[in-house]
Amino acid sequence: MIYKLVVPGPIEDVEEVRVLEWHGASGRAFEAGDLIVELETYKAIVEVRAAQHGILRALLCAAGEWQKVGLPLAVMSDDGAEALPDSLAAVAELPVEFEVS
Amino acid sequence: MSSDARQKLFFREAIIRALREEMDRNERIIVLGQDVAEFGGSYREFEGLFERFGRARVRNTPVAESAMIGLGVGAAAAGLRALVTITYMDFLMLGLDPLVNYAAKARYKTGGQIEVPLVVKTTAGAKGQGVAHSQCIEAWLMAVPGLKVVAPATPADAYGLLKSALRERGPVVYVDHKRLFPTAGEVPNEETLIPLGEAAIRRCGSDVTIATFSFMTRIAERSAERLAAEGISCEIVDLRSLAPLDMATVCGSAGRTGALLTLEEGQLSCGVGAEVIFRARESLANLRTARIGALPAPVSSNPILEAACIPDVERVTDAVRGLLASR
Repeated sequence: MIYKLVVPGPIEDVEEVRVLEWHGASGRAFEAGDLIVELETYKAIVEVRAAQHGILRALLCAAGEWQKVGLPLAVMSDDGAEALPDSLAAVAELPVEFEVS
Repeated sequence: MSSDARQKLFFREAIIRALREEMDRNERIIVLGQDVAEFGGSYREFEGLFERFGRARVRNTPVAESAMIGLGVGAAAAGLRALVTITYMDFLMLGLDPLVNYAAKARYKTGGQIEVPLVVKTTAGAKGQGVAHSQCIEAWLMAVPGLKVVAPATPADAYGLLKSALRERGPVVYVDHKRLFPTAGEVPNEETLIPLGEAAIRRCGSDVTIATFSFMTRIAERSAERLAAEGISCEIVDLRSLAPLDMATVCGSAGRTGALLTLEEGQLSCGVGAEVIFRARESLANLRTARIGALPAPVSSNPILEAACIPDVERVTDAVRGLLASR
């Protein structure tokens, strides 16, 4: 199954974030609890952790780039060989846990 | 040929960049305020400056606004260039005596022998913190001879106006807004100053001029979007400077549209809009006008009461329709 990793929310007052650091490159497998990416809000850092297994397949926003809450940061999948779709419209969001510090 | 390259920054990062550049350029600039040093500022808007410039130039002060501004006035009069930060504009009231009677009047009193290059940076606006932490009192300051007042609405203007303020010969009150800190925007990569006394057209339009500033600029933009869907074209003038006011830009716009709405978060009585509209009427005949501001009550920390008091998109769009219906 294909997933999209989106900017989690809601976070009070936050409409958009800047990607601070990816903790893995395309091909890396994440398990529940693993830190996938750190995002910067106007006053804090958001740690986004996988809530289940997922393989990072494509980064849509590089470090330093901006994205709005709810919109996609990356494409992930259960299996590394699954074909990626052309559009993310029908793709499920990867369950994540996030912490604002 | 200058580059058009821009970088998207959070509002607070634009402030840090302006300060870092000006403090690199001029070793006499010092920053005074509560929690500005290791803590990096209440809105993280001084982050990194203490590490770069040290304790002599980035100094924590106690909670004592009159003394803080007095200290800044004296330091500036003695040859430094002080930026004093007052976290809540409400508490600027405590420092009005040194600001008005000393900073603003110094050059007049001494026949030009003493100048006070002081920037008082302060944060205005309602955001859930109640009657003593929500006020917008820019209008009170506009009438002080010798004092300049600026209010950026975007990170680019926060950057450019602060740089200019830090190069002025006399005192400037630089007013940002609690609700602007969560915002982000493009800032030119190249060093850019925005002159004081210059407004900016944020949106071009033909039916009505909305003259506004600070966070209300964003309310005006949302209102303009909604009105555009109804076939009403709004021109938005972001004043940026309240003293001196750029009436040339306001009148240029209102002269074309024939309708002028002023929008401020502060009180209407003797407010920014009162001054703008009176001055516009001195230059333009046949101008339809209206003002929008806070309701005449202190801003409650109760979210329902706060929302009722502060101008919102509904009130602005209703006012525009009403103004145009009176044509």
